Amino acid sequence: MTTSGIRAADGGRASFVSSAGRVIAALLLAVFVSGCAAQTGLVSTIDPPNPGSSPKVLVMTPDIEIAVLTAGGLLEPNAEWTEQAKDQFKSSLAEVLGEKSVTLVAYQEIETVGPESLAEGQVLKLHETVGAAIRYHKGLPALNLPTKEDKFDWTLGESIKPLRERYDADYIIFIHLRDSFSSAGRVAANVVFALLGAGVHGGQQTGYVSLVNMKTGHIVWFNGLFSQSGDLRTKEGSLLAIKTLLGPAPL
Amino acid sequence: MGHLRTLGSLLVLCLGLSACANQGEVKPIAPGERPALDTDEAGLWMQVERAEQQLRTSGKVVTDPELNAYVTGIVCKLEPEYCQDIRVYVVNAAGFNASMAPNGAMHVWTGLLLRVENEAQLANVLSHELAHYRLRHSVQRWRDLRDKTDGLVFFQLATAMVGAAPLGTLAALATVDSIYGFSRDQEREADDLGFDRLAAAGYDPREAPRIWEFLIAEKEASDAPKRNFFASTHPQSEDRQKDLEKKVEELGELSNSLELGHERFQRITKRFRAEWLEQEIKVADFGRGLVMVDRLLEQDPGASDLLFAKGEMLRRRDGEGDLDSAIEVYERAIGTGDYPAELHRSFALVKWSQGKKPEAANAFEQYLLMRPDADDRLIIRDYISQLK
Repeated sequence: MTTSGIRAADGGRASFVSSAGRVIAALLLAVFVSGCAAQTGLVSTIDPPNPGSSPKVLVMTPDIEIAVLTAGGLLEPNAEWTEQAKDQFKSSLAEVLGEKSVTLVAYQEIETVGPESLAEGQVLKLHETVGAAIRYHKGLPALNLPTKEDKFDWTLGESIKPLRERYDADYIIFIHLRDSFSSAGRVAANVVFALLGAGVHGGQQTGYVSLVNMKTGHIVWFNGLFSQSGDLRTKEGSLLAIKTLLGPAPL
Repeated sequence: MGHLRTLGSLLVLCLGLSACANQGEVKPIAPGERPALDTDEAGLWMQVERAEQQLRTSGKVVTDPELNAYVTGIVCKLEPEYCQDIRVYVVNAAGFNASMAPNGAMHVWTGLLLRVENEAQLANVLSHELAHYRLRHSVQRWRDLRDKTDGLVFFQLATAMVGAAPLGTLAALATVDSIYGFSRDQEREADDLGFDRLAAAGYDPREAPRIWEFLIAEKEASDAPKRNFFASTHPQSEDRQKDLEKKVEELGELSNSLELGHERFQRITKRFRAEWLEQEIKVADFGRGLVMVDRLLEQDPGASDLLFAKGEMLRRRDGEGDLDSAIEVYERAIGTGDYPAELHRSFALVKWSQGKKPEAANAFEQYLLMRPDADDRLIIRDYISQLK
C-alpha cells in the first residue's frame, strides 16, 4: 500500500462518494476556514470561562484516527500513522499549553472493567456525541437549532461526576481529531477527474476541542478545525493543528 | 458491439487487476497472532477495538457471570487453541444473530440464545463465527471491497473518457453484485469449517441444519417485506440448510450419544427467558414472533412466560380473533398459578376494549393486589374508577 501525502484540491462536487461526514466537513470549511483569521471558538452563554490564575486542567486521552482515502472513496484506518500522530500530539499539546499558565493533570485510564471504568467510558462517548452535535449545528447559521439560536448552553452535566471525584482539576479538555491522506490511486484518479472537469477531494483534517468546567459540567468553550492540508503525523503538522485548535483557548 | 465487448473486458481487467493487486494468499490467523502495525489489518483492528470499547460501556452487554462463563466455555471447547484470543459479549438484542469482529470480539445476541433449543445448536452458530475469525474473513472482505471500488473508479474514468459514461453505472451494479458474491462465499466457507469443528468437539452435528428449519419458518411468517439485499450478502437459508444436511450425510452412521447439552443449556438460560421474550415483543413483528413462541411452547408446553408473551403478541397485533385468543392464552397462564402480575393488566385492557367493563375492573384490581407499589398504580386506579 503506497500512499502519498499530497492532497488533491477540492473542486467542489464529489462525484462518487458523499457521506454525511463529508457534507459536514464541507460546511465546516465554509465556517471555520472562511472565518479563519478571526476564529477563536464558541463561548458558553450560561457559564463563560473564568479560569483565574494558573487553573488545573485535566486532559482526556485524545480521540485520534488517521486514515487512507482510497481511490474508490473509502476511508481505511491506519494503525501505524495513528500511533505516530498520537506520539506527536503529546509534545504538541505540552508545547501549546506550556505557553499558557496552566497546570496539566494527566488522565489515567482505569484498566479493570467495573462501574468506574464504565462511567468514564460514558463521559467520553457523551462528549463525542455532544461535540459532533455542536460542530454540526453551530457550523452554519442555517443548521442552528431554534432553541439555541442566540445561546451556547451545551453541557455534559453530572456525567463528569466520576472525573470530579477522581481528579483535582478546574477544567477538562476533550479532543477529537481525524486526518486522512489520498492513496496513490486516489491521487491518480483526481488528476484524471480534473482533466475531465470534475472534482473529487483528497484527504482532509477535521477536529474539535471542548473545554469543560469541572464544577458544572458545562462546555464553557468549543473550537473546530477543518483543513485540506497539514499532517498530524509530523512535528510541524501536529503543532499547527493543536495551535489552531487550542491556541485561542481562554486559559 | 465490439466496443461494448472491449469495455466489458476492460471492466473485468480493472476489477481483476485491483483484486489481485493487494491480495496474496491470506493465511488463517495463528493462535495469539496480532497483525503487524504497518498493515491494513492493524487499521481494521484499531477501529474494531474502538467499537469494542464503546460496546463495553453501552449498557447492552449482559454481565451475568454464569451466562458469560457458559458461552465462553463453549467457545473454548470448540477452539481450545484460540480460546485466549476470543472475547465473548452477550448483547441484549432481539433477533437471531451473532457476529465476529476481526480482533476476536464475538457478539452473541440474546435473541439467538432465546431461539436455539440446546447447546449443540448454539455451538454450531459460535463455531461458524469462530471460523470467520480463523479465516480472517473481515480483512479479506475489506480488501475485496476496497479493491473493487478502486477498480470501478478507474473503469468509470475510462468509460467517461471514451464518452460511454452510462456503462460506468452498469459497472457499478456489477461491482455491488460481485462484492455480495464474495460475502456469500465466505458464509459458505464459515459454515464448512464451523461444521467440522462442531463435530470434532463432540457435539451432535445433526443439530446444525436444524437451526435453519426454524429460521426459515420465522422468515416465511414475518410481517416484514422480504429483504433482498440481506439475502444477497448471505446465501439463502434453504441452501445453507441443504448444504449442512449433505455434510451430515457424508459423516455416515452417527452415534446416538453425541453431545446435545439440552439440560445444561435450559438450566442456564431459562431464568432470562421472560426478559428476552419482552425484547422480541417490542420488535412488533408478530407474524415472526408468534411462530417462534409457538415453537418454544411445543418444547415447554404450558410455560407461563411463553404463554404471557404469546398473549401480548396477539393483544398488540389485534387482528381478527386475536383478542379472544389472547384471553384464552392469558387464562391458561393464570391456570399455572405462577405468572407475572402484568398479565392481569393486559387481561384488563383486552376486556375493556371488548366492552366487558366489570371483568376489566376486576382484573386491574388483581394487578394492584399483586403489585401494590406498581409505577403505574395511579393510572390504574383512575382506570378502575372510570370503569365503575
